[in-house]
Amino acid sequence: MEELLKKLAEILEVDEIDVNKKFTDYEVWDSLCGLSVIAMLDSDYGMAMKNKEILEFASIGDFCKAVIK
Amino acid sequence: MDFLFKHKRISGILTILPQKAVKFEDEMANYNFSPAKSMKLKLAMGYNEHRIAAPGQTSYDFCQFGLQYLFDNNLLKPEEIDALLFVSQSPDYFMPPTSNLLHGHFGLRQDCLCMDINQGCAGFELGMIQACLLLDQPAVKKVVLLNADVLSPKVSPRDRNSKPLIGDAAAITVVEQCEAENPIYANIKTDGTGALVLNIPAGGFRLPCSPETAVMEEDAAGNFRSKDNLVMQGDDVFNFVQREVPPMIEHLYEQSGVDRNEVDWYMFHQPNKFMLNKLADKLGVPREKMPANIVENFGNASGVTVPTCISFNLGDQLVNGEMQLCMAGFGVGLTWSSIMMKVGNLNFNKIIEY
Repeated sequence: MEELLKKLAEILEVDEIDVNKKFTDYEVWDSLCGLSVIAMLDSDYGMAMKNKEILEFASIGDFCKAVIK
Repeated sequence: MDFLFKHKRISGILTILPQKAVKFEDEMANYNFSPAKSMKLKLAMGYNEHRIAAPGQTSYDFCQFGLQYLFDNNLLKPEEIDALLFVSQSPDYFMPPTSNLLHGHFGLRQDCLCMDINQGCAGFELGMIQACLLLDQPAVKKVVLLNADVLSPKVSPRDRNSKPLIGDAAAITVVEQCEAENPIYANIKTDGTGALVLNIPAGGFRLPCSPETAVMEEDAAGNFRSKDNLVMQGDDVFNFVQREVPPMIEHLYEQSGVDRNEVDWYMFHQPNKFMLNKLADKLGVPREKMPANIVENFGNASGVTVPTCISFNLGDQLVNGEMQLCMAGFGVGLTWSSIMMKVGNLNFNKIIEY
């Protein structure tokens, strides 16, 4: 989980991720961040997710739980 | 589906590019994106400059110019052509086929098969498969494969998904019978459930162009396009490519018996640098063996990118020598296809401008 959060922090250009927030709560969030998350899921977690699915999570915490399982 | 062809070779490749080059920076202001974000996009995707056809120039024009060049320079004779294949998503007309128009313009023999094929990203591979199928017939000794697309007029200037990467171009590949066995291993797969992932909604018979289809609408990411414009589900395409292409290439190694270390170059379709680098990493191929420099120099002209990549990166090396190439195309359809073959001692392999 920690590693995933570190990677997300890098993509969202912050020091620490607030797991209660949504991706879109971060000002920097855009379609390019979305693609970065998709590419990171593919290469590091062997997972395929759509932009729409990523945005449907109620929080980043929920997203992380779905990735790590 | 796997194919094996023998006694056939590529004898020449000519790429024809528009003269007009447009810089990414010059189009940035059209996007609903801050300059800083646009620069980030440019870096990540490898955008820089792309070639755009002049208003009124069509795929036909680039093919005509290229064929005339080959005839004028005695690199091809009109009377030798047994089949003319035109692979494109931008024909001049719904009817007649563009290949027939070119046939008429150059006064080719009546004993010449003309065929238009609607394919994009995998258009070079599908065209090669069709050329080789024809060359299995004793009467067909030389096939001219035309890959051409001028899709830039269909892309919204305010679509940062597709506009920075689109390019217009044509390529002429001469494929012919030969004495040497020269095995060509090819495969192709289709998933029609993803047929609309890359789409131009209006302009065909299902939804003709009208004032309504020309209305610009904003999508969730802030891109503006109309139903007349090309639309691409970028995330679906990315996931599709990363899922399907690596196993296809692994299969091609097995099918051909060619070891990965024997492959000199991976000449792949060029969607953007980001996707190609990811693919190379996933396949365990050194990035320098899979050039990803076509989008940044010329743009992505769908089925034309593989011959462009060969002309641009290998040029005279393929005139003076021979190399083991692994080629692949993937995208619209959804279609994915790959070819393992030796290419070399070409009569020509170059880029010209029109």
